[in-house]
Amino acid sequence: MTSAVGYLSCLAAIDLSGLLAYNTLIVAAGTAAVGCAAGVVGSLSVLRKRALVGDAAAHVTLVGVATAFALTGRRDLPTLLAGGFAAALAGLLVLVVMRRYTRTRDDAATAIVLSVGFGGGIALVAGMTARGIPGSAGLENFLLGHTAALTARDAGVLAGVSLATVVVVMLFLKEATLVAFDRSFAAAAGWPVAVVDYLLVVLVAVMVVVGLPAAGAVLVTALVVIPPVAARQWTDRLGTMLVLAGVIGLVSAVTGVAISAVVPRLATGPVIVLVAAAIFAISVLFTRWRSPREAA
Amino acid sequence: MTSADFLSEVGPMHGWAMATAAVVSAAAAMVGTLLVVRRMSLLGDAISHAVLPGIVVAVLAGGRPGGPLVIVGAVVAALVTVWLTQVLRDGVGVAEDAGAGVVFTTLFALGVVLVTAAASRIDLDPGCILYGILELVPFDTISVGRWNVPRAFLTGLAVLVLIGLGLLVTWRLQVFVAFDADAARAAGMPVAAATLSLLAATAMTAVAGFEAVGAILVVAMLVVPAAAAELLGRRLSRVMAMAVALGVVGSVLGYLAAWKWNTNAAGMIAVVLGVEYAMAVIFAPEEGLLARGIGQIWLRWRVACEDQLAAVWRREEAAGTGLAAAAAPHGFIDRLARAWLAMAGRLRRVDGEWTLDPRARPAAEMIVRSHRLWEAWLGRHAELPVDHLHPPAEWMEHHLGADVRRQIEADLGWQASDPHGSEIPPER
Repeated sequence: MTSAVGYLSCLAAIDLSGLLAYNTLIVAAGTAAVGCAAGVVGSLSVLRKRALVGDAAAHVTLVGVATAFALTGRRDLPTLLAGGFAAALAGLLVLVVMRRYTRTRDDAATAIVLSVGFGGGIALVAGMTARGIPGSAGLENFLLGHTAALTARDAGVLAGVSLATVVVVMLFLKEATLVAFDRSFAAAAGWPVAVVDYLLVVLVAVMVVVGLPAAGAVLVTALVVIPPVAARQWTDRLGTMLVLAGVIGLVSAVTGVAISAVVPRLATGPVIVLVAAAIFAISVLFTRWRSPREAA
Repeated sequence: MTSADFLSEVGPMHGWAMATAAVVSAAAAMVGTLLVVRRMSLLGDAISHAVLPGIVVAVLAGGRPGGPLVIVGAVVAALVTVWLTQVLRDGVGVAEDAGAGVVFTTLFALGVVLVTAAASRIDLDPGCILYGILELVPFDTISVGRWNVPRAFLTGLAVLVLIGLGLLVTWRLQVFVAFDADAARAAGMPVAAATLSLLAATAMTAVAGFEAVGAILVVAMLVVPAAAAELLGRRLSRVMAMAVALGVVGSVLGYLAAWKWNTNAAGMIAVVLGVEYAMAVIFAPEEGLLARGIGQIWLRWRVACEDQLAAVWRREEAAGTGLAAAAAPHGFIDRLARAWLAMAGRLRRVDGEWTLDPRARPAAEMIVRSHRLWEAWLGRHAELPVDHLHPPAEWMEHHLGADVRRQIEADLGWQASDPHGSEIPPER
């Protein structure tokens, strides 16, 4: 570890004193929990072929974060994230309504919710910044992720929610697995398929919201997509895939936080995504090299 | 403040910004219509994120923002996105949406890191990438003849003209591919070329929109007006024209709203486009919620009125034969309908019983005729048990016209009674 840090510091000729500061370590731990939980929850949604449902929710969170700030005047993380979660649920509800009452197809509906929600969020944030409302400029950190601003208490909240989400996943793992792999059988066998589907979507929304501080609204969807897809390369067993996706999410998150802590002005989100993507690329290349398969 | 004051206060600089938003939006609406009808909206989303590294690399290689080199860079990035997604799907077995999610987030992240790393050398910042700076567009100009025209406007105009010409030349192909790609392929049409040119057009629009409105709001310009227009019409040419109109109007209104409330123009444009879509959902003349709601209420009301008339007709018929007839429906709407028929003089209360006014008798009789003809027809052709014939007839009686009744009667060979033995009244 020390040599790796030394190597990095030689490479970039940057001050590394910030990296090992107490706060950075706490934040890294909190973000690690988020990355791990996102990998676990994301595995189920990727298997259920709902990989991008989180993307619309993620972009819409910005409206909620800005509204929560405008209404309460507080900018502590739980308040802002609660607003973001409310907005994410509202966005998902709009998607359900659009599917039920309009001819607009799912792909266009997702793009509409995503872009209009994001535009509304940008307009709110810019409006507050232009009026000089103190603290509103910091809301931009939720666009691309910026963990340096987090406190130890924030990290605790993120870790706590992540842990709770993983526990929920473990509790309904059997149902979720059945619904993901054979929906018609699950329905015929009398499982509450719709409830399981909605619960899964809500869990994805939770992960997208707690992932905001680390990865930002634009890229947080990668946290619930890339680690599961990478883990899938190594195994055909669901249990192994969940654990692997969790580990890959964790490693990506910690590495991302570390790199962006030492490189000035570098947002956390893109770094986390690139690390996860690199792990995915290695997974594909290594598993192909180990046992070349016919194209599926 | 009157609107004239408002506009003069907005001034010519804002006029250029609005014109830029309008040309970009028009180009995006044309491309977006094809993306939406071909169910490729999310590809538009993916491409508008993924062009970022292409743009940055081209700028680092000496291209001017919005110049030809940058457009080439963006088109290459878009093609790489689609190619990688296909490789992941066909070669690695990753589902298409998950694969697109991997590719576009990775490319966008790469772009952001490149921008941050090269911040001292290039004139782009992460904020501008996400939501553009439409307000600053008028200050970066190129002189054309005697005028100083904003560079972003020229880029947008060039892309608009290019896409417009491309559509004119390949229109029939695009329509064919949009509605039935398999049939087009079977007919020997160059489907792959049509798709590739659509992808390239999406990438060019993304570049034109990038500086003005940013990556994510390009998605709004691509998809939202097109989806709204799709609710308003069926002909592709008309849908596209309406999408362009909605996009241009939304851009101008959004810009003015942002100016009035002092906020980000691109964000407000997306919001106004969203409002346009919501209004299309509610007010679309044929499939809007309002039109459909009114249609459903009107149908429910007509059914209730006709049921009351038919019930009274049957009671009168039963009084003649001495048998008891089924009671009329008496839900809330049914009683309301009866009250209305009484007020309009169609039904009268005589000796505590409802009776038909002579004017209402033919209509009532034709409903019963429809009902019994349908029962008889089902009884002959559908092999349903006799006690299953009533419910479908109870619904169909409201939808059979005189012509259909005559056809059914001819098919039955002028049968005189329905399967329950009731007489079928003759056509009037």
